[in-house]
Amino acid sequence: MNAGFFVQLGASAAAVGALVALAAWAKIARPVSPLDEHKAREMLAEEFPGRRIDAVWVASDGAGALARSGGLALVLCRVGDGFAARQIPWAQAIAASFRDGRLRLNLADVAAPTAVIALPAWPPKDLAA
Amino acid sequence: MTRVHIDPVTLATPLFILTIILEIVFARLGKAKASYETKDTAVSLAMGLGSTVAGVLTGGVIVAATLWVWQHRLFDIPMTAAWAWVAIFLLEDMTYYWFHRISHERRFWWVSHVNHHSSQHYNLSTALRQTWTGAFNGSWLLWLPLAWLGFPPAMIALQKGVSLVYQYWIHTEAVGRMPRWFEAVFNTPSHHRVHHARNPVYLDRNYAGILIVWDRMFGTFQPELDEEPCRYGLVKNLATFNIVRVAFHEWIAMAGDALRHPRHALGYVFGPPGWSHDGSRETSAMLKARATSPAAAGATGPQPAAPQESPA
Repeated sequence: MNAGFFVQLGASAAAVGALVALAAWAKIARPVSPLDEHKAREMLAEEFPGRRIDAVWVASDGAGALARSGGLALVLCRVGDGFAARQIPWAQAIAASFRDGRLRLNLADVAAPTAVIALPAWPPKDLAA
Repeated sequence: MTRVHIDPVTLATPLFILTIILEIVFARLGKAKASYETKDTAVSLAMGLGSTVAGVLTGGVIVAATLWVWQHRLFDIPMTAAWAWVAIFLLEDMTYYWFHRISHERRFWWVSHVNHHSSQHYNLSTALRQTWTGAFNGSWLLWLPLAWLGFPPAMIALQKGVSLVYQYWIHTEAVGRMPRWFEAVFNTPSHHRVHHARNPVYLDRNYAGILIVWDRMFGTFQPELDEEPCRYGLVKNLATFNIVRVAFHEWIAMAGDALRHPRHALGYVFGPPGWSHDGSRETSAMLKARATSPAAAGATGPQPAAPQESPA
């Protein structure tokens, strides 16, 4: 690697910084409205087609949702201006840490390590078993 | 050997920067269809920068191997002959098709290529979201037969660069459809939007580099459907912008699967993305089958015990 390579690399890094700044300035991310139950169910049906949904808890800030489907917890969490979905065993969702109104779910996935969902209370008394 | 100092990708870099600026500005002014999320853009561009560095670090081995094979070539193909350029254009583009197809259909190659598909956006910055680990999969071996035939390594490198530069401009929603004759022969933004979409009907389709005719010939062509708008990204999208996780997540997941299930390691490494020994995950083929015939594939789908893989 010669000096020219490092000059080129430095220039490219500066260009990356400038383009990211331009994207931030432009504010042209997709508009994302907070999830409500209807939208959460719609998204769950898309992400987990055919799954029966027993109950849904939508995050109070609309940035996520959690649903029970038999022995599974189906999780939606906001990522930038999109969402990611994962499923974990229901027992794992029940045992997740809940502090200051935030449920912290370990998704056990290197591509989706955790989901934080704002909820008024957890676990739900009637579905905890 | 004839020495050629032309790298189309390096030459095109100012064009990449300028066109991203234009796409952002026109989208901001409401004159073009494009969306850019700041962190997503940062990850895409940083992956592109990282892939350049990785390419420099690993390129020596690839160049040396190509030169060695070329020294044992069958024919002497002159770089000055027009027919030779026509031939390298067609052969390189077909090689790219098969490289791209295997990169989607076998997990050992998908672990690297997944990076290019992990954005939920489809804009010009997505084109630069490239893998850091492509050299480790050995997919570059697919181009060695061209050197063995007698195409000079510089000629192969130049044509590969031309293909990469061509594929840049098709990563956009700002261009609708090109004229019919063009859509019939060439890869276009419309065809490639399909390739980046996670809708089941669009999975594992349109692998072309420059010529879409390979997909038409080998049965993997899917036109963009007005009634099925593209949703971009992976079947199981990333829930992080951590660039290290973005770059290596599928390698780690594959290694984890192989180590947890050593008797099925070959399946987890060389099977299609989403393959599992107990059928608890879904491959692209299964997702497509379920989408077209929910009853045939089981109304409730599999009940995975672990997070699913992410074919796209």
